[in-house]
Amino acid sequence: CTKNFERYNTDNTGVTDDDLKADFKDLGTFLTRAQRSVINFSGGGDPNSYQLQQNLNADCYSGYFMSPNPFNGGQNNLSYFMMTGWNGETFKVGYLNIMASVNKLRVNGVDTAYPAVWAVAQILQVAGMSRVTDTYGPIPYSQAGSGKTGIAYDSQQDVYNRFFLELDSATTALRSFIGGSETLPFTFSTFDLVYNGDFTKWLQFANSLRLRLAMHLVKRDPATAQLQAEKALNPSEGGVITTNAGNMAVKVSGAGFSNPLVFIAKNWADIRIGASIQCYMTGYADPRIGRYFDKSTDESFPAQYKGIRIGSISGGSKDDYVGYSSLNYTDGNPAFSLTSPVQIMTAAEVYFLRAEAAVRNWANAGATAQSLYEQGINTSMEQWNVSVGSYVSDATSKPDAYTDPKNSANDAPAPSAITIKWDDAADINVKMERIITQKWIAMFPEGMEAWTEFRRTGYPKLFPVVNNNSGGLISTEVQIRRLPFPQNEYNTNAAEVNKAVQLLGNADNGGTRVWWDKAD
Amino acid sequence: SFSQTVTITGKRMALYDIFNSISKQTGYEFVFDEKLLQNAGPVDINMKSAPLQQVLDKCLSNKPLSYNIIDKIIVISPKAAIKETSVAAEKPAATIQGTVTDSAGHALPNVSVQVKGTTRGALTDEKGHFSLQAESNEVLVFSYLGFQTKEITVGSNTNLSVTLLSSDQQLGTVVVTALGIKRSEKSITYATQQVSGVELTKAKDPNLINTLNGKVAGMSISPSSSGVGGSAKVILRGNKSGLGSNQALYVIDGVPMNNSLTSQPNSSYGGSGAYDGGDPISNLNPDDIESISVLKGASAAALYGSQGANGVILITTKGGKAGRTQVNFSSGLTLSQIAYKPKFQNSYGQTGGTGSNPQSWGDKISGGSADNLSSYFRTGTNLTNSISLSGGSEKMQTYFSYANTSANGIQPKNKLSRNNLNFKETGHFLNDKLTAEADVNYITQTIDNTPLSGFYFNPLTGLYLFPRGANLAQYKDKFEVMNPARRLMVQNWPFNEDVQQNPWWIVNRNPNSLERNRLLLNASLKYEVASWLNIQARGSIDRINDVYEQKIYAGTIATLAPANGVYVYSNTTTNQQYGDLLANFNIPVNEDIRITGILGGSVRDVITNGEKFNSGQEGLNIANKFLIQNFTSFNPLNSGTLQENHSQFQSVFGSANISYKDWVYLDLTARNDWSSNLAFTPSGSYFYPSVGLNLILSQMAKLPEAISFAKVRGSYAQVGNSPLAYQANPAQYTFSAGGTFSQSTAVPFTDLKPEKTTSLEFGTEWRFFNNRLSVDATYYKTNTKNQTLQIAASNATYYDSYFINAGNIQNQGVEAIVRYDVLSDTKLKWNTGLNFSTNQNRIKELAPGINSFTLSGASGSNYVSKFAVGGSFGDIYGSVLQRDEQGRIKIDADGKPIRQSGDLVFVGNANTKWQLGWNNNLSFKDFTLSFLIDGKFGGKVMSITQSMMDQYGVSEESGAARDAGGVKVNGVDPSGNAVTTVDAQKWYTTIGGREAASGEYMYNATTVRLREVALGYTVPVKNTFVKALRLSLTGRNLLYFYKKAPFDPELTMSTANGMSGVDIFMPPATRSYGLTLNATF
Repeated sequence: CTKNFERYNTDNTGVTDDDLKADFKDLGTFLTRAQRSVINFSGGGDPNSYQLQQNLNADCYSGYFMSPNPFNGGQNNLSYFMMTGWNGETFKVGYLNIMASVNKLRVNGVDTAYPAVWAVAQILQVAGMSRVTDTYGPIPYSQAGSGKTGIAYDSQQDVYNRFFLELDSATTALRSFIGGSETLPFTFSTFDLVYNGDFTKWLQFANSLRLRLAMHLVKRDPATAQLQAEKALNPSEGGVITTNAGNMAVKVSGAGFSNPLVFIAKNWADIRIGASIQCYMTGYADPRIGRYFDKSTDESFPAQYKGIRIGSISGGSKDDYVGYSSLNYTDGNPAFSLTSPVQIMTAAEVYFLRAEAAVRNWANAGATAQSLYEQGINTSMEQWNVSVGSYVSDATSKPDAYTDPKNSANDAPAPSAITIKWDDAADINVKMERIITQKWIAMFPEGMEAWTEFRRTGYPKLFPVVNNNSGGLISTEVQIRRLPFPQNEYNTNAAEVNKAVQLLGNADNGGTRVWWDKAD
Repeated sequence: SFSQTVTITGKRMALYDIFNSISKQTGYEFVFDEKLLQNAGPVDINMKSAPLQQVLDKCLSNKPLSYNIIDKIIVISPKAAIKETSVAAEKPAATIQGTVTDSAGHALPNVSVQVKGTTRGALTDEKGHFSLQAESNEVLVFSYLGFQTKEITVGSNTNLSVTLLSSDQQLGTVVVTALGIKRSEKSITYATQQVSGVELTKAKDPNLINTLNGKVAGMSISPSSSGVGGSAKVILRGNKSGLGSNQALYVIDGVPMNNSLTSQPNSSYGGSGAYDGGDPISNLNPDDIESISVLKGASAAALYGSQGANGVILITTKGGKAGRTQVNFSSGLTLSQIAYKPKFQNSYGQTGGTGSNPQSWGDKISGGSADNLSSYFRTGTNLTNSISLSGGSEKMQTYFSYANTSANGIQPKNKLSRNNLNFKETGHFLNDKLTAEADVNYITQTIDNTPLSGFYFNPLTGLYLFPRGANLAQYKDKFEVMNPARRLMVQNWPFNEDVQQNPWWIVNRNPNSLERNRLLLNASLKYEVASWLNIQARGSIDRINDVYEQKIYAGTIATLAPANGVYVYSNTTTNQQYGDLLANFNIPVNEDIRITGILGGSVRDVITNGEKFNSGQEGLNIANKFLIQNFTSFNPLNSGTLQENHSQFQSVFGSANISYKDWVYLDLTARNDWSSNLAFTPSGSYFYPSVGLNLILSQMAKLPEAISFAKVRGSYAQVGNSPLAYQANPAQYTFSAGGTFSQSTAVPFTDLKPEKTTSLEFGTEWRFFNNRLSVDATYYKTNTKNQTLQIAASNATYYDSYFINAGNIQNQGVEAIVRYDVLSDTKLKWNTGLNFSTNQNRIKELAPGINSFTLSGASGSNYVSKFAVGGSFGDIYGSVLQRDEQGRIKIDADGKPIRQSGDLVFVGNANTKWQLGWNNNLSFKDFTLSFLIDGKFGGKVMSITQSMMDQYGVSEESGAARDAGGVKVNGVDPSGNAVTTVDAQKWYTTIGGREAASGEYMYNATTVRLREVALGYTVPVKNTFVKALRLSLTGRNLLYFYKKAPFDPELTMSTANGMSGVDIFMPPATRSYGLTLNATF
């Protein structure tokens, strides 16, 4: 008699699709998961995933951070010794958390039943997967989820083209919903961890995201870059983010969730401020510095804002450098706590993107480069609730040289002589350096986009790694350009990842540039 | 207690033929020495439908023979001479007296003592005494079922003290086989090895199975490193399954035992979830065990179904005996100490001299040789007291026992206390046609502070890595200090690293405890329907409740606990219910052919219930208040209802044993299982057959005198193995943090098939010189196919893994047992035995396109255990240094070796290639001495402990290298120049550490040791109250004759499939000394 066998072989702690139908959890579960995964904290609890997804690569390669922890005796990604086990998480999160969730919404019929909600899902997919392609280059995209094995990769150019088409579809749906009278049978704000159910803000984010992605292509494909940027900025599209109220930041709410960056800094003490951003901000006497960083707590030198040089930790103890400046969650008026929203895109960044568009004389920038540049700075100061003072008119302050109070071998001259005050007469390179440098300070602590922009523009000028353990694969001066494909792809999808290396056009290592990183 | 009838008529019939005929009619087997029968002469007999007993009485009435019936075995032995009439002695014979005991000193009643070549003889009485007439040149023959026959020349000694050694190799030995059925050993078609209960109690271990280590050919026992009460990994004939269990099945009195494991570490970090609370076998009282027989191959196990695929360990427990009441008391104390210490350097101090740098790459120091280890490790103790009462009448037999075990581990606060209560009653009803038996076992066990291996919550990391020359005593004296800002005591430790804490803080302020209550009930009813058929019904319930707690106090390192501490609580109950119905039949077809067999069915149902709570990183509201209501919030990832893991197995099975003239035995079995774990798959059930053939050469043909017995056997079997619960139907979503749900990352496996092991074995047994020398050799080959493998998927599929059925894992090997009675006719007696086994494991294939599969990985320690085609189970992959074409290590411009990035590479295999055990028993008068030397040869193991100690500069090697001016290497610098010396610090900080160039830390696993020594003395008591008294001194793991690895390679961090052959701060193995007293009243 085996009539109960199916019941026995059913996990009593599992949840089924049927269970999730009530209260539209079959929609909310996946939409919120996608939101929490662009920068991944969807697992709750320990932010192991985020640490490898972004923190121990892009966050440090962008000059924002450095780990005091001598992982693997200092031979790790931060000294260009590419750890096999560290290079797959960005990829994994993209597919298992973002694309699988969005796919589930499609399976559940959200695309046809609630096109505006589906539009939000598509925007999240583009926001998330653009980070994946920017990290590796070619990725599986059009064929993702199509079988158990043998998932083909798309070239990065094809992936970007798809992004733009998906954004087209999403913004069209959103404009139609906003202009129409359709209502949803559920309260969308319950499932919206960003804009509290405001579809107009999602539309503005979508346009801002298009602008950001367009700008990524300016070196390789300036025509597409200009076309997409002008489209993003075209008022008929619904506008871009202009105020801090429109910032794309995912709320950290619900038991078990925490801001993963703050968690790593505070609970694990595994991440500290990087030397590059410290030198720029101390050099500029930037009013945001006291909000971003706390002062050093190492007893061997006086308390001060002091970052760590990337690639300088080669063995020894974590205690050697753990007392250097941390992300500020304690000092004075800290900007960060375990429940701080996870920031993905700000109004300030959009102003700087528009400033660049203006410098390039593209249509629809909406104002002069100088005014957009200054508005970018002002909006950021406002975001962090500090007084801008005479910052924008400071024509003398320059980034500091770096001194390491514990090891002078890490000392380095100032990375750049760029000042703050806008100079309309300067050549385009100086203008670009100024815009990107200030954008970089404003975007803190979102390292993924900062690393992408550094690779695209060469700005801000960042300190190179002190120790380069890449065995000659990555140039210390040119700095790291991408992460190698995950080992798991070679183990499970070998034929396709080998084709992807052909698409990449060069060896699969950190020294190879992705498609948009190469001037044609 | 038997009532079969027999019909025999004939004149001048040979006893041999009569016995054969009785055997065929009744199914009873005869055990006898053929020489006795040759001298006995023919018999006239005319019995029709007479009771068996009457027939035996009749045909032996005028013979110098007596019989004894034990279960279904009839033992024929020489009768005590009643009168010395037949032979007129030329010289008056002297009266010889004596006592016969077993090796444990227990008196043996009813032993036959015969004067060789005569009909004179006697039987020993209750106290083992005998008395008979013999001359000084005559030889006395002592024989008793289950013991080796012994011959002693009388000589001038008229008062003999004789010890009989138990034998599992004697002709006519009874072996317990599948489903609890006893069969004579010569009829078995596969390899078995029987161990008497004495071997388990000789030198006790808190986990009784560890006392079998080295005594059974083909059995590999790896004790876990988790202190007193920890589990052991018992593998017979090699690992077979990747995801499923590889552990042997334990069967108690015919009923399979629930052998669910408590959680085992599966990562190098270990951590609070990875405690080992002991396996169910470890809970049993060794004094309750009569004997253990090990059925090594799949043939033996065919009747146990999937559970038996990895071999079966059959345990027969003691019961009451009719007509004898006996009280046994046993008390033993064992002291244990660490058997070796890691080696430290004493010449160089802390980096920076003082402060928070935890490494020892500092200046030269003097007086750095403080023995930190002795300040931490202590002498472990194990005190066991047990009492048993047995007795009964022909109708009712009773057995009662109680045992108390109280053990302290070698680490502070590690403690086990266990109580075992056992009550067994057997009754015979309805003219002895109905036998009822019930057995109740109740076990309580508490284990405090199970040592957790790995980096986290392990006191040994802080202890070993502590800077040389620095003062550790201050942290022992004051493991906590007041934090005035918090008004609570916090940890006193100078280093801030996730991998280490103050060792005394961990044992006092991160304590764990596991409390187990176990109830094991067995009942059976057996009814004799007809002389050729009986029907038996059995049921059993085995209910194990475990409550685990860990209290992590405020002040614990931040990586492991938030500011206010963590409380971990789980309560799990595993309930196994088993029932079977058996029909035993016995059909004599004709004079020469007999068929016996079984038809039956069984149901086994295992379910786990429980819940777990872990405050995790969300933490507690009030510091150090360890209550669930003190959780700040509830995270479903850490807390909630546990999976039931409900599995039910329904089976029907049958076996037939066909024999021809005691020459040829043919075994056939068939079984079909229905498993609930196969629900939702196309194959709901699986069938497997076995066949075995046995030829007794010594009965088929006349062999030379020197050969007492010869047998060849062969068998073929197929055993299925059910997949795990839910593999075919994983939950679509599970609860995740903050009211969210995470999606299953494994593709549902809807075409899942059961695993199948095919086994082939050939064996032969030979005995020479009147059984003085015996040799038993077996070759086997098993192939396990349709493995359920969890294969990593490309994440672009939206999954992390999927399951396939594939693969072919082959184990083949040879087992051999040789025994020899070196001295048996002298006062000093000595017998010796060798167990040899070798096993070769090969992964022949996995699946098309898939050539490797990860068993257990440890991100962050550069260790991974993998399955790869062409490799074998237990292959270790690690990271290595870069070398040039000439094999020279590449050294970078900075003078450091360069490590190879990319995927991990094969660096060795942990499996033992072959094992040899040498067991010896000596006796002289009232003294007995036994010792066991065993060796495990081949294999390689990894020590992350060593790589950490090297990186921290505390190891002896790191000091020696500094003294020598650097590490001598065969290296090459970037410009191609040879490098012969690398700075010690640069070398060890690059290759060492938790993410070491682990390929540099592989060691030869060969170990040869003096495993066990036992010295016994039987106190000659002349007292009616105390019948026997015996003292024994024992030692275990006394000496390593050969050991190259920095740890005992036999120890394992996990008794599950992973983490084998890697040492990550496992506590050292122990050496123990014990004193045991046994008294019988």
